[in-house]
Amino acid sequence: MNDEQLLRYSRQMMLPEIDAEGQQRLTDARVLIIGLGGLGSPSSMYLASAGVGHLVLVDFDKVDLSNLQRQIIHSTPDIGRPKTESARETLKTLNPEIKITTIDHALDEKELLEQARLADVIIDASDNFRTRFAINKASVESKTPLVSGAAIRFEGQISVFDPRNDESPCYRCLYNDDVATQETCTANGVIAPLLGIIGSIQANEAMKLIMNIGETLNGKLMLLDVMHMEWNQARLGKDPKCPVCNHF
Amino acid sequence: MEITFKLYATLSQYLPAGSVNHSINIKISDSDTAFSLLDKFNVPRESAHLVLLNGVYVNPEDRDKPHFIKDGDTLAIWPPVAGG
Repeated sequence: MNDEQLLRYSRQMMLPEIDAEGQQRLTDARVLIIGLGGLGSPSSMYLASAGVGHLVLVDFDKVDLSNLQRQIIHSTPDIGRPKTESARETLKTLNPEIKITTIDHALDEKELLEQARLADVIIDASDNFRTRFAINKASVESKTPLVSGAAIRFEGQISVFDPRNDESPCYRCLYNDDVATQETCTANGVIAPLLGIIGSIQANEAMKLIMNIGETLNGKLMLLDVMHMEWNQARLGKDPKCPVCNHF
Repeated sequence: MEITFKLYATLSQYLPAGSVNHSINIKISDSDTAFSLLDKFNVPRESAHLVLLNGVYVNPEDRDKPHFIKDGDTLAIWPPVAGG
């Protein structure tokens, strides 16, 4: 690590829990981020600025004017550009030291599994249950920890599903196919800073997983209602009948 | 027996008058289940995906099980969230 890098990361490296060893783990890490919207914006920006060595950004969408209220990685001149391109530019400006790979199409099952296998941590910043179930399956099959965040209206949820631990529940233990809702932020609205809160916690959990420090939200679900400013935490158990994590 | 019944976020609209901070104390019978209480308050079951009893996630197969809820318990319900 050169002097400039030492200075860049000095304020986190001075934390004894991180130090040079933690920073090196961040530098060596590869994180798969799926979705560059309201959650993917803050999470990828924090991971880039913290020096996570390789970010793989996945999104098939283009930047739209209606995204800019909350998707803070994109700016007005980016309207019409692929979100992956716009995000790469912002992240490279934040930290030219890191490597960024962009994928501007929806990953099929095989590609998703391949990317999951290459990653140290997966950030689920997608916006629908179908994608979330696919990401979960790839996480379980590849045994790559998943940091899952979701937000809509004034409500947010965050959890970590770590398939390296046999006792860990997976996302499919929490949500099953009966979930009828296909509510999206586009159709139902969302308050912007909520996404910042949830996305930032996702980045924080990913960093802890990479550095192997502290206690993550594995086996726990954090629920936030920002309208009434109430945090709740629930304990999640593994579903013995789960068709995903009992299968692999 | 009496329990504390909480409906969060958009579900709080289904709470009766007299509820404070998403919460109301209600008297229930031994045979009441999480689902029967949802029905009593006209909460659509598909909108009430996260059922927590004393802060622990309740698996779907236990949500209609009688005698699962005990006197003094807190039953909290959250809607599903997938946006991002």
